[in-house]
Amino acid sequence: MKITEQDLKNISLLSKIKIDKETSDSLVEDLESILTMVNKMDEVDTSKINPLTHPIENTQTLREDIEKKDIEREKLQELSKEKDSGFYLTPKVIE
Amino acid sequence: MSELINLSLTDQILGLTDKSFSSKEITGAYLNEIKKKKSLNCFISVFEEESEEKALIADENIAKNKARPLEGIPIAHKDIFCIKDKKTTCGSRMLSNFISPYSSEVFSKLDAAGAVTLGKTNMDEFAMGSSNETSFYGNVLNPINEKLSPGGSSGGSAAAVRANLCSFATATDTGGSIRQPASFCGVTGIKPTYGRVSRWGMIAFASSLDQAGIIAKNAKDAAIALKYMSGFDQKDSTSLNEEVKDLQQEVDADQEHIIGIPKELIENIKNDQVRDSFKNAISILEKDGAKIEEINLPHIEYSLPAYYVIAPAECSANLARYDGIRFGHRSESVSSLEDLYVNSRTEGFGREVKNRIFIGTFCLSAGYYDAFYNKALKIRNLIKSDFDEAFKKVSSIAMPTCSNSSFELGSISDPVEMYEQDIYTIPANLAGLPALSIPSGTADEMPIGLQLIGNYLEEGRILNLANKFQKLTNFHEFK
Repeated sequence: MKITEQDLKNISLLSKIKIDKETSDSLVEDLESILTMVNKMDEVDTSKINPLTHPIENTQTLREDIEKKDIEREKLQELSKEKDSGFYLTPKVIE
Repeated sequence: MSELINLSLTDQILGLTDKSFSSKEITGAYLNEIKKKKSLNCFISVFEEESEEKALIADENIAKNKARPLEGIPIAHKDIFCIKDKKTTCGSRMLSNFISPYSSEVFSKLDAAGAVTLGKTNMDEFAMGSSNETSFYGNVLNPINEKLSPGGSSGGSAAAVRANLCSFATATDTGGSIRQPASFCGVTGIKPTYGRVSRWGMIAFASSLDQAGIIAKNAKDAAIALKYMSGFDQKDSTSLNEEVKDLQQEVDADQEHIIGIPKELIENIKNDQVRDSFKNAISILEKDGAKIEEINLPHIEYSLPAYYVIAPAECSANLARYDGIRFGHRSESVSSLEDLYVNSRTEGFGREVKNRIFIGTFCLSAGYYDAFYNKALKIRNLIKSDFDEAFKKVSSIAMPTCSNSSFELGSISDPVEMYEQDIYTIPANLAGLPALSIPSGTADEMPIGLQLIGNYLEEGRILNLANKFQKLTNFHEFK
């Protein structure tokens, strides 16, 4: 399976990770070899099989809606470099 | 005091209870050993003062006859488990400044059982790797031969147990990350049934595959540790609301076993030493009374390709949370919001993590979703059905843990060759089944493991079989 320059651009855009020119050749090589291995799946006829998203069925449980204060807001916000009055700060989005 | 660190967990509990030695002594002995063997790079952080304080509290509890089940036992946690007010890095630059505001359920349960946490162990970045070489903190060395890899991703936990740096260690397994390092380091590792142990506070890689477990000196120790780590947790929506069996009792019970052998897979093992050692292990169990049945797992060869779509797909979604804003690495060179996202992620993640995010993103993108992701999920269903069919006639399934023993650090650069490390361990993750690895011989003078896979919630049964094997052999013994 071939990865085109356009594919790389799309992957980079969607994943929000830069792909620099120096590593793009070896990256294409890695991705192509992984996708070639993955293509072995085509040997199996799965036309009548349902997809299985989760190994164990019916595990979703509900609990009473009781407020808990396990995690403090201030403590969480200490982890951010840029914050003010309970808000997280980012570079300006609207001029 | 060095002899204390060689004792099994079972003997350490006995010794502490009958006051032959104190938690202060045993904790001090482990802390000394950790300092002595710092070059192995097993730990990302060590809590020296805190563990000494905890040991004193444990000794007081023992003196007052108020000892909890793991009172005063020094352990280590893989650095994927959050501990409140402690750095939790997941082996990544992205989280090198992350001080967790809460604790994982795994830590909380073992802490409540009285265990003393010595520190947090090194691992492949975000648990993605099979050699420990993707860690931002440098690779761990295999204590048996320092030129070789300890395996991964829980390489720090496996090496720490093997080097006698803790009584047992917690670990996680998404595609083999407990069993493969356990095999490489000659120790015992178990990944329980998906949902048996809470994933709350365990940093996510691939949520439908991730499961926490134990690396220990032997099956009996692993059974005790796992017993106190398991159980339903409301905070994890995939946690199983099922009774926790008394694994400590079950590991020693008189049980009959029917072991399924996937004949075709065994005949195709390329490494003669691995194949011969496997056959030898099975004949030991057969002589001891276990029945052996041939089974078919026709779709197992498609586990690796299906896994390398599903795991990266889930990883790309899970790791989207690292945006540089709320926690984790935030780039300094930023002029727009887009820059903040892109530069923080580009600087914070290492090469292997990026590769997996790229693969996952590609497989989930428009035009490829059906061909890759949906196809992989259908194959996952076929693999699960193969196991369901096999477990109608057997009580456990045996195969090697890995197709080779440990390899030299830096010797594998092809990603697919590295991924093939997990060829025998991945199927149990796709199906959500419990599986363990125990030392069963050597190849090229390094340990190799026997893998036992159990039916859902039958951790006790495979631990019982593993314990039988360890009573008959000494592959698991080390000083």
